[in-house]
Amino acid sequence: MASPPDDDVFQRLRQKRDPAAAKKQEDELNARLHAQQHKAQERLAELVEDNTTLPVTISSVRVLNANRTRRSFLERVVDPLLSAHREEPYTLAEAIREIGGATDKLNRFGIFKSPISVFIDRPDPSNPSSTPTDIDVYLSAYERGNYTIKTGTEAGHSEADAYINAELRNLFGGAETLNAHASLGTRTRSAYSLAFDTPILSNPDFKFQVNGFASSTLKSWASHEEVLKGGNSKILYLTQGGHRHEFGYSGIWRQVTSLAEKASPTVRADAGDSFKSSFTHTWINDKRDYALLPSRGYITKTVSELAGWGPLKGDVSFFKTEAESQVALPFGDTGITLTAGLRGGVLYPLTPAGSNAPQQSRINDRFQLGGPTDVRGFRISGLGPHDGQDAVGGDVYAAGGASLLFPVPRVGKDTPLRFQAFINGGKLVALKGKSKEGQMDSAAVRSSMKRTMQSLKDDLPSCAAGFGLVYAHPIARFEVNFSLPLVMRHAEQTRKGLSFGVGVEFL
Amino acid sequence: MPPDSIPNHDGNRNVRPPQPSRGIFAVPAPIKALFDKFPLRSYPPNELPLRAPRHRNQHVLYAWITDEGACNGAPSYNPACLKWQAYLKFSSISFRIASANNHASPSGALPFLRPSSTDLQKPAHPISSGKLQKWCMNNAGDNKIEESDDLRYEAYLSLLDHRIRRAWLYAVYLSPNSAAIAEPLYILSTSSNSFVRLAIARDLRTAAEKELLKFSAVIDSDVLYSDAEEAFAALEMLLGDKQWFWGAERPGLFDASVFAYTHLLMDDNLGNGWVETRLRDAVKQRKALVAHRNRILEAYFSSAS
Repeated sequence: MASPPDDDVFQRLRQKRDPAAAKKQEDELNARLHAQQHKAQERLAELVEDNTTLPVTISSVRVLNANRTRRSFLERVVDPLLSAHREEPYTLAEAIREIGGATDKLNRFGIFKSPISVFIDRPDPSNPSSTPTDIDVYLSAYERGNYTIKTGTEAGHSEADAYINAELRNLFGGAETLNAHASLGTRTRSAYSLAFDTPILSNPDFKFQVNGFASSTLKSWASHEEVLKGGNSKILYLTQGGHRHEFGYSGIWRQVTSLAEKASPTVRADAGDSFKSSFTHTWINDKRDYALLPSRGYITKTVSELAGWGPLKGDVSFFKTEAESQVALPFGDTGITLTAGLRGGVLYPLTPAGSNAPQQSRINDRFQLGGPTDVRGFRISGLGPHDGQDAVGGDVYAAGGASLLFPVPRVGKDTPLRFQAFINGGKLVALKGKSKEGQMDSAAVRSSMKRTMQSLKDDLPSCAAGFGLVYAHPIARFEVNFSLPLVMRHAEQTRKGLSFGVGVEFL
Repeated sequence: MPPDSIPNHDGNRNVRPPQPSRGIFAVPAPIKALFDKFPLRSYPPNELPLRAPRHRNQHVLYAWITDEGACNGAPSYNPACLKWQAYLKFSSISFRIASANNHASPSGALPFLRPSSTDLQKPAHPISSGKLQKWCMNNAGDNKIEESDDLRYEAYLSLLDHRIRRAWLYAVYLSPNSAAIAEPLYILSTSSNSFVRLAIARDLRTAAEKELLKFSAVIDSDVLYSDAEEAFAALEMLLGDKQWFWGAERPGLFDASVFAYTHLLMDDNLGNGWVETRLRDAVKQRKALVAHRNRILEAYFSSAS
């Protein structure tokens, strides 16, 4: 900046500043600050580095600002840090790692604002109870607000709804959450739920949930509306290796009601009430880098359910299990990915207590297959047995698909947008057997299940191939595809041409 | 039009070569030709699940009935269903009866009839009870039943549809009989779960109360029963010493309507048996009505019991 010859302050102030120069000045300042910060960080790292083997003992941990959180709850998290509770002494590096672990745990409860800052201090040397190696740890954990209320509307995939969600956080000072949800929509006519969720033993990876709900869902592919009222409770456990396990019990009153005029006899026969009492187990091992558009990794998942067997009672009894896996393989660093998925399920009828014959499956429990988020190129529940226009579901299925995803030219591989070419197919069949009004004994069920499983590979599965565009938005994946069916069975409902899919799980 | 030409909606207008439609959403011809080639392979349809009803080539009356009852053609335990069951038998229409509940019905109430259908892909529309008489007339052929055109027909019918029906609702759902009759027949069959049963029992009771409160401000059992007693007396007078009501040669809809109540009231084995018997006694005193009921039971339901 050229300064004028006279030094008059007012003159100088009156003069307009050159914006470019001002920006340059600001940038320089920022750069200097940044460099300083960087240097400070380096110095700190160096300091820690130099002292990694310094023996320390943690004499106290103080959690600041967490006023609404129970002391006993926090103690379980931070107590293991204290040297008094450890046999071996710490080095500084170990101590810092352990403190990091505890902070991470606190973060995962979701009740504190992130980041939680950590301070380390030396206790007053004049205090006779302190030793020279003692350090004090201070964690500054600000709590998030104790409630959130969200309302919104969502639209997509032939469904639109409006919802309100209220969440009470850290209810009893132990990271307990109470969540109330209500929504009204076009397909899910109404849904209400109240869920209570609490960590067990102050462990964010070990949780207990109780949930009560009521909902009413329009199942247009089978001409009825399903009304559910019930509750479940489950224990969620995340292992060190990242495997998720869920054990739960659920009791649900289901009602197949509001049948359409053209509802088929099969749907009419299953109309009415039934109570399902079941144990479920879910295992998920997700090692994909990005679930909605993975470029490498794999996922395996199984869901098993035992209903109405022995002391479980209820009106339906079966064992149902489903397994699913997906693998994504990258082609070097080109952004091209091959993803392949395979899934299958079996519903095995069991003999309920107080009856002498296994009970055949109902439409509520049978599998459905097909639709833009699973087997593309078919309508929703387009595969499997159909009675008239109604997809009545099947007892055994297998489905698989492979997609080749490549980046869109000029947009690049760093955007969540991909072209895809896919082929996918599946087979959904009902349990075979010549039964008189559905009555079969256990041996007959076993042999017909065997025959049904074998029939899966008798002929080609119903399948479709196509290409399209995929966009992975952070909350859901969107797909627009053009596809044509290659193989089908009569009465199955295909979709030729364009289709649009929104979802979080794809085959 | 030459006999071998393709049938056309346009009737006798000139048949022009197929033209690509001008609509925006219409599929252009070459693409349509491509689409029509797919699927490349088509297999026969999947088999239906085991619970899917077979016997599609028979008429099926969906009614309140136990599964065993449905197998051997026993009378339904619900008067509205029994009325049509009896009427179909009077019309000599062969049909099966299937156990169902209100959720299955297009109108929300049983009974309804699913006509036979030969094409699995196009199931026939169900016929609700309101249209059942007309359907029977159309399908009974020579056995068509002509109802009496007596001027008093409607008046007597209203005795059944109002006085007797209301007393029945009270006797079965609200009186002490509800535990012995309504519970085993309508509630225990729906689910084995006590909460579900409790909820359904409450719904059933309130529905019956609501129905009765439509006609009077309070539910007075004495009034309901004495009205019904008078109605049965009037019906007996009407029947007199004739075989069938209105002096007909064969039983008709009116006989079916009367039989639906008289039979169930006289049935010793309905549910767990009658506890409060005032309405039942009112029928038992009427010798002509008792004979009428027995005549129908023997002629049309003898195979069942």
